[in-house]
Amino acid sequence: MHDSTSLPGSIPTSAGPAPVNRIDFVNEGGRFFRMLARGALLLLVTFGFYRFWLSTSIRRHLWSRTSVAGESLEYTGTGRELLIGFLFALAILVPIYVLYFLIGIEFERFQAFASTPLFLFMILFGQFAIYRARRYRLTRTVWRGVRFWMNGSGWAYAFRAFGMQILVFLSLGLAYPWYAAWRERYKMRHTFYGDAPGAFEGRAGQFFRQGIGMWMMTVGLAIVLLVVMGVVAAQTRGRALGSFSVWHLLIVLIGIAIPVISLFIYPYFKALEWRWWAQGVRIGGVSMQSALRGGQLLKIYFKIIGWALLVLIGWGICAGVIGGLFYVMVGDPKNFMHFPIGAKIAGVVAIMFAYLSLGLSMGVVQRFYTQHEVWRAVVSSLTIQGVASLDGVAARGEAANALGEGLADGLDVAGF
Amino acid sequence: MIEGSAVYYDGLSNKPHAVTVRIGGTLEIVENGLMIAGWAYEWIRRADSSDGKLRLRTTNGSDLARLVLTDQNFAKSVIEACPRLEHDDPSSNTSTGRIVFWSVAAAASLILIGLYGVPFIAERLTPLIPYSFERRLGEMSEKQVTTVFNATPCESPDGVRAFSKLISKLQSATDLPVPINANVVRSTVPNAIALPGGRVYLFRGLLDKANSADEIAGVLAHELGHVKHRDSLRILIQAGGTSFLLGLLLGDVTGSGAAIFAARTLLDASHTRDAETAADGLAIEAMNKLGRSPKPMGELLLRITGKEDRGLLNFVASHPLSEARLERMAASPPAVPGPPLLDETEWAALKQICGPAAKDTKTQNSKT
Repeated sequence: MHDSTSLPGSIPTSAGPAPVNRIDFVNEGGRFFRMLARGALLLLVTFGFYRFWLSTSIRRHLWSRTSVAGESLEYTGTGRELLIGFLFALAILVPIYVLYFLIGIEFERFQAFASTPLFLFMILFGQFAIYRARRYRLTRTVWRGVRFWMNGSGWAYAFRAFGMQILVFLSLGLAYPWYAAWRERYKMRHTFYGDAPGAFEGRAGQFFRQGIGMWMMTVGLAIVLLVVMGVVAAQTRGRALGSFSVWHLLIVLIGIAIPVISLFIYPYFKALEWRWWAQGVRIGGVSMQSALRGGQLLKIYFKIIGWALLVLIGWGICAGVIGGLFYVMVGDPKNFMHFPIGAKIAGVVAIMFAYLSLGLSMGVVQRFYTQHEVWRAVVSSLTIQGVASLDGVAARGEAANALGEGLADGLDVAGF
Repeated sequence: MIEGSAVYYDGLSNKPHAVTVRIGGTLEIVENGLMIAGWAYEWIRRADSSDGKLRLRTTNGSDLARLVLTDQNFAKSVIEACPRLEHDDPSSNTSTGRIVFWSVAAAASLILIGLYGVPFIAERLTPLIPYSFERRLGEMSEKQVTTVFNATPCESPDGVRAFSKLISKLQSATDLPVPINANVVRSTVPNAIALPGGRVYLFRGLLDKANSADEIAGVLAHELGHVKHRDSLRILIQAGGTSFLLGLLLGDVTGSGAAIFAARTLLDASHTRDAETAADGLAIEAMNKLGRSPKPMGELLLRITGKEDRGLLNFVASHPLSEARLERMAASPPAVPGPPLLDETEWAALKQICGPAAKDTKTQNSKT
């Protein structure tokens, strides 16, 4: 019997001795990393098909190490389901791609970029896929023997999300808090844990107020830059070129500052968004607070960049050594042209192999930080209230199919 | 009988049941002296756990029912009693082996389809595609191709006249189903190409190296052969098909990425040689019909590629060996020798269609 009147912060004492209002994450980064490394090798030998099982393993790891009130979450999806979802998605995507190609030819003939509407259609389809993929993941999430689930229409979501994104674009990002609030409200309104309904109570105005400073330092600064450039262009019209004024210096400085500032602001913005999201989410009488700091995410991003560079250097050295050996053995690369076709194929395969290895090792770095470390930072930052309101929740909802996951994979919009 | 305490979730509500578990005929789950469930051992599987507790599920009952055992020793006895605890767990070695096996099998079949199936489909599909559509494709690929080389047409009036004369003679000899749109362009690469929809480009680099009208006529007839057989269209279908298949493999349906490109080039190269041999056949036939020997064309090719040196130029990368081609052309003189295709002044005009010979032909020469 969930008690939806319990206020955030009030600690129910009726649920026995277990520490009820706890959310924990067990950090086994080493194990997660080994799983990724093994997964990368398997991706290589399975021509990428292992990706379905790898993302399943990743989710099982992260879910099972996250516990609420002492009982861990469980991810019950399988790689096989994802594979089937992918095959179904192909049956839908292949005809669309063929049509897309044919229509593209018709339109491009009249005008370059005339097929942009089709590109936009694919973005719309991507939104649908994201919604349905979330539904799959949610219905595979189990806590205390009861699953989460979700209803609502993927298309209704996709159309509205698409419209809102256009507004965000036109408002230069200022409308983003309203889009995010709508998006989370829509998703959480259709989210359930057993018979306990979800809701989202985050306020767009609050997000806007907290984020407007960051907007000013990035987009606002870019607008200032454009204005200054306009003024300078108007002033110098008709005058001799090459007179370097304070204005020019200002343009250069702002031009350099914007990308640097954006790079640093982004993690702080993401942390703000996480905090705002966590504070708004409700399931039954459960509410959360997040103390995530932008600095934590910034650190993770720096680690990604650092390790990616190291990996690149490492593979660069490997390639250099192999190239040197090749040169010693063959001499002038031109001689390679005289090699039998078998050797040429072997050469091309070796280059492909090296390319894929580089990509896969980058993938390990990227997955480790953007999935495990971000997850860890977010979960560890959470405090939770009102878990006792979920006691006695009755099971509802069916397991949804993995079509959305397949579409997301095919359209390259997959998240976790 | 061994027994221990556990927490049981029945999958109907999230209420934790404090139960006693007995290892009997089945795994008996007893609450307050009442047996509320009995799990057959062979259906019991391990569920994910990270806190040292043993979590169990059954594949023969409520999907989400879970049994959580805290006592390590008792858990050990339960593990011993369940013969298929780790079965169909994808992180186990046997099922990884199966994934690898089937992936490799799928990859092998996709590669075989790429090698044999796609060319076959392209072969059958090409005649079914209307020419109007092919022309549209041609217009598209023209935009792309012209960014790669200098496609400004050469337009000295005498040269253009001589060129059209040559083309119309060849056209009558090759019996083409589509109108031809041929041009000499300024690119200094010694090459000639045919795009879908009857678009033919002769590069001045090739013209500069030619010694006679017959040499150029042979090359143009070869390109008209591609037009007639609709080779560019077929190769386009093939390339699209193979990149699509490889995209399937590597998880990107749109088929971008350098690995895909490399693999595609490798696959396609093996397809084009047959098309080249067929186009040579048509060139030989057309030259014979006009009463001229195809041999000069072979000589021009060999002059450009050099002996056995298959160079780095596209022109030859996917073609049969120049020696073999020359041999074949030399073996097919015309039955009845006919008049020259262009007279001396016309040939001279064609050579000068782009103005005086480009200065960098020397450097091009040393490269090939």
